[in-house]
Amino acid sequence: MGVRILGVSLLAALALPVGAQAAAPPDPLAELDAMSRASATIAPGMALARGQIANGELLGALATLERVLTYHPESDEALLLHASLTCRVDDRGGALIEFEALDPDRVGDARWREATASCHTVRR
Amino acid sequence: MFKPVISLGLLLSGGVALAADAPQVVGINSAILGDARISSPTAPQPRPAVLRARIALADGVQTGARSQLQVLLLDKSVFTVGANARLTIDRYVYDPNGGRSFSATVAQGAFRFMSGRADRRGTSSINTPIAAIGVRGTIVEGVIGPDAVAIARSEPGVPRNTPADPATASLIILRGPGAGTQAGLVPGAIDVTGGNHTVSLDQPLQAVYVPAPGAAPIGPFTISLPGLARVHALIFPSLASRPGLVRSGGGTPYPLPASDYGHRPPRGVGVLLGDPTGGQGPADGGRYIPGVPTYDPGAGGPQQGYGAPAGQQAPAQQPDPARKPPPPPQNPSVPPSGQQDPAAPPPPPPQVPGKP
Repeated sequence: MGVRILGVSLLAALALPVGAQAAAPPDPLAELDAMSRASATIAPGMALARGQIANGELLGALATLERVLTYHPESDEALLLHASLTCRVDDRGGALIEFEALDPDRVGDARWREATASCHTVRR
Repeated sequence: MFKPVISLGLLLSGGVALAADAPQVVGINSAILGDARISSPTAPQPRPAVLRARIALADGVQTGARSQLQVLLLDKSVFTVGANARLTIDRYVYDPNGGRSFSATVAQGAFRFMSGRADRRGTSSINTPIAAIGVRGTIVEGVIGPDAVAIARSEPGVPRNTPADPATASLIILRGPGAGTQAGLVPGAIDVTGGNHTVSLDQPLQAVYVPAPGAAPIGPFTISLPGLARVHALIFPSLASRPGLVRSGGGTPYPLPASDYGHRPPRGVGVLLGDPTGGQGPADGGRYIPGVPTYDPGAGGPQQGYGAPAGQQAPAQQPDPARKPPPPPQNPSVPPSGQQDPAAPPPPPPQVPGKP
């Protein structure tokens, strides 16, 4: 009897949230927490930023990369993408300062070309 | 019969008052570096900021030397404050299906604000002690205090010997998005009001300087890239300490901000725009960007680093009598940097009544 009641309860518990999740709006604070958590380390932060870029959220991606760089200022990858995005929002002066902080030889040809595509050609 | 009605009315009004007193959460501490502290109207004693703790309306954010805090607001707008800054979110109205309107005060230090969504109506504002910035969907940065004076003094767009109040002087810069922005972003604009005069900015890197209470904004002028690099270093002290930011051969190509933000200055002015050598390349190993016009920080003004002939550097900065020494740490037990472990599990929410 107790087992049956437990089984029914589990089914109900599993079933209810599915419907509830479909209807409930996302918790904005939980979303902010997840964004903060993801950008505390480089790889998840870069993934989040690239996802935001894919969704056209350039300013959100900039903010994500700024969080990554807060903890990992040594990350060429994050700074390069930040500089590229800064160009894409038409702030070329700001982007130039960031490109200057990077060593193109360390970044690599392909990444450098990708990042600077929005900022005219940057001679290495 | 009359008495119970009055009592019920008092109880109800008391209940409403309690609900109204509950702090309105507007965002979270999304990134923290160094000594960052939070105070609230109900707990005015500043306490260490906790990563991902909630920020409520009227909470006071303050940072120490070489410190930085990013606040992520509900609409995904972002406020970042750098070293020795004071920020308060005074008003915040957000409807996920409608718009966002807010008012914030930056009393001191350097900040960067990025809109989470376009706000074309201009109902959001950032106030400094002597200037009001009307924000219309934009990226805006500012410096308030002695660093603003130090940076403005080196700007060709600011008249020499401009009297300034080092406590409240405000330098405001529009960073974008510009008209050439991508992904359908709305170009940003700001209106800066000081001394009953308003100046509108709608181009990235346009700046205004409000030197003292009651003074009209000076500008708009295009901030020099050395000046912009100094602002950047104030907002992001972690990047200012990035290895490799000092030019090869040593030396600093431009004067540093007054604040103690780190050991190594950014190398920003090593970049040269245009190619004045006709393709020979810069003697100091800097990079040119073909196709981009040579940057002119101000008509008639001296070149400061950018575009200057190789080997010629900006003059050394004179000691600034307006500079105040950095304040001592408020809590010596707090390490100067790396206070928060981003890899650590999320800390429990702060013990503030009414906050989740």
